[in-house]
Amino acid sequence: MLKTSTTNVVPEKKVEAKQRQGFRLNANDKYYASIFLGPSLLVLTLFVFYPMLKTLYISLFLTNTLGNTTVFTGLDNYVKLISSPDFLSSMSVTLLYVVAVTVLTVSVGLLLANLASQKLPGIGIFRTLYSVTMGVSVAVAAIFWLFIFNPSTGFFALMSGWLNLPVVNWLTSPTNAMWAVIITTVWMNLGFTFLILLGAIQSVPSTLYEAADVEGASSRYQFFKITIPMISPTLFFVSTITIIGAFKSFGLIDLITKGGPTNATNMLVYRIYKDAFYSGNYAKSSTEAIILTVIIAFFTLIQFKFLEKKVNY
Amino acid sequence: MAILLVTVFGKSLSAKSAANDNRIPIVFWHEMGGPSEDALEQVVDGFNKSQTKYKVIPKYQGTYDEAIQKILQTHGTSTSPAVFQAFDISTAQMIHSGYTTPVQNFIDQDNYDVSKISSVARAFYSNGGKQQAMPFNTSQPVLYYNASLLKKYGITPPPVSPSYSDITRVAKQLYEKSDHKVKGMTVQVYGWFLEQALANAGAQLANNNDGHTGNPTEVKINNPDTVEFLNWIKENIKSDDFIDYGSGASAGANQTAGFLSDKVGIFIQSSASIGQLTKNNTNKLGITYFPHPDNKKANGVAIGGAALWISNDKPKDVQRGAFEFIKYSLKPEVQAQWQKSTGYLALNKDSQKTKILKDLYAKNPESKVPGEQLAKAKPNYSNSGILMEGMQLTRQLEEVAMETVYNGGDINHALDTADKAINDNLHQSNRANGYK
Repeated sequence: MLKTSTTNVVPEKKVEAKQRQGFRLNANDKYYASIFLGPSLLVLTLFVFYPMLKTLYISLFLTNTLGNTTVFTGLDNYVKLISSPDFLSSMSVTLLYVVAVTVLTVSVGLLLANLASQKLPGIGIFRTLYSVTMGVSVAVAAIFWLFIFNPSTGFFALMSGWLNLPVVNWLTSPTNAMWAVIITTVWMNLGFTFLILLGAIQSVPSTLYEAADVEGASSRYQFFKITIPMISPTLFFVSTITIIGAFKSFGLIDLITKGGPTNATNMLVYRIYKDAFYSGNYAKSSTEAIILTVIIAFFTLIQFKFLEKKVNY
Repeated sequence: MAILLVTVFGKSLSAKSAANDNRIPIVFWHEMGGPSEDALEQVVDGFNKSQTKYKVIPKYQGTYDEAIQKILQTHGTSTSPAVFQAFDISTAQMIHSGYTTPVQNFIDQDNYDVSKISSVARAFYSNGGKQQAMPFNTSQPVLYYNASLLKKYGITPPPVSPSYSDITRVAKQLYEKSDHKVKGMTVQVYGWFLEQALANAGAQLANNNDGHTGNPTEVKINNPDTVEFLNWIKENIKSDDFIDYGSGASAGANQTAGFLSDKVGIFIQSSASIGQLTKNNTNKLGITYFPHPDNKKANGVAIGGAALWISNDKPKDVQRGAFEFIKYSLKPEVQAQWQKSTGYLALNKDSQKTKILKDLYAKNPESKVPGEQLAKAKPNYSNSGILMEGMQLTRQLEEVAMETVYNGGDINHALDTADKAINDNLHQSNRANGYK
């Protein structure tokens, strides 16, 4: 259902945009335009454009204890950040996290959705189970997984105790902590992804599969040649949402690792928050925010330029 | 628009409180959550009942770290507090902000006798011979051990003021005699502990006597005392009797859980944890002072916790009310009850004579230890805290260094990296603030 709404809206808008270019506005139109656009422009200016420009402005200065801009340093903050190994590792950690979360969320979600789309008795139970994480809040999920990861009393520690295996330090070793956060995020994301993909799979016309059955195509062939192309707009939508969500990931990191150990999970957004509201270094965090904006804009552009063309609407 | 909302909202709030009674409202921002918040509200209630002139309105502001930025950014608006609680490492920031009235002004006006209040705690929040803020909730880092487990395995407990090797001995014995079922010890990755190890060794982290005789311009964590502290931990990691619970809030909870479920025998934590450790503990709890280096006498650790500050953006009578509240919060009975319900230490020396604390010590003799450690320390520059801005970031960088070492990294390299990052930040902050 969601699929149809997202696919149909986009092309219509494009058509409108093309038509609009042909118009000339007369004085009366300008008057109405300002009345209708005015309020939203005012709100946008106050809450979006002004903060954005102010962030850019602050990033060109040093800020003192009170958060005021004092010394103009030009692009010095940017040069310092980009040459700091600490920040670069934050960037690569964020990229690793985004890629891992997106790939795992979409592929596992697709697998579960494909399984749950089979028409079998009692399948409704699985559909409910798979989508249940949609109702779980970030705080609850974090605490739930913290109990599992606890090295003394956690579920994993108890399991390895019974099996006589060494206890894995999930949250204290830098590599494991990254996986702990990835696993938790993917688990959180799965419910929503599953539901959207299940909806998409179910709205693929059954006649296509029936025709394929008559041709004698295997179910694997049907999955790759019918299901995937037919749900590709939804896959595109889901992966975009997941990528943006992963870039913005904050709650789980704050509750599970606080960016540690040794900054192994100190993603960009968490870093911005910590530099501003823990350390009070507004210049540094503004600079980071601008860099993050550029990165996300770049990815969004790439996605729409290249991926959109491959998507079968 | 935002300013409009704030003023309208602020107005309606003050109008409401004025309608209830004619007392002057004193807005009080604090960061005590959980059981400590209930205890704090009792203090406030007690003050309000004793007053006809002022009324304190407590408002919870989240964590210590976040509250600092809220306090600085709301100063001068109608939402800002008249009196607020700010934690130990923000002291330099608060003094430099110029947003507060030193409590010394009121102490002089009232001839208030501060000699009753713990001198180590006072030293932490004073600068240039002036009391800037009044310590309120004060804790000491102490070492906890599971006395029942030591008894079970026939291990001699550590002395009251143990050295690093005293603790290593107990930890190793516990690990071996329990057939590797109980880990000997842990030290949470927490910058506070590293700073306390330095204080207890009589060393300083920043120049200008840890900032007490001038704004620091250079930091050096890579000194022999830090190396000895980290070597002590590393030695225990190597002999496998050490368990690492990592950093952050969850690490504290995890290690407490590990300690209470007999998975680890020794750990260092704030004295404010005593309540939690005695309430749900079927084992006997042992407490000693913070450990000191082998060939040195303990210099005493600095305090942790927070102090009460008076904002200077409020009218005279409101500031006066804020100080009346501070004086009330330091009364012997109030501090005694505060220690009993939270584990923070009673700062008034007369609190020890109250029935509340006498009963508490009769019931749990070990809860005396942190207070004794506090009373024993003579304030000097090393154990009076580090008066430097950017301590939050400094702590994060110290923690990265600790984690690197815990994960097998080279001590000198980790400390040098931290030194470089801390100094970069310090130089930039000094430049931004126009300090020399």
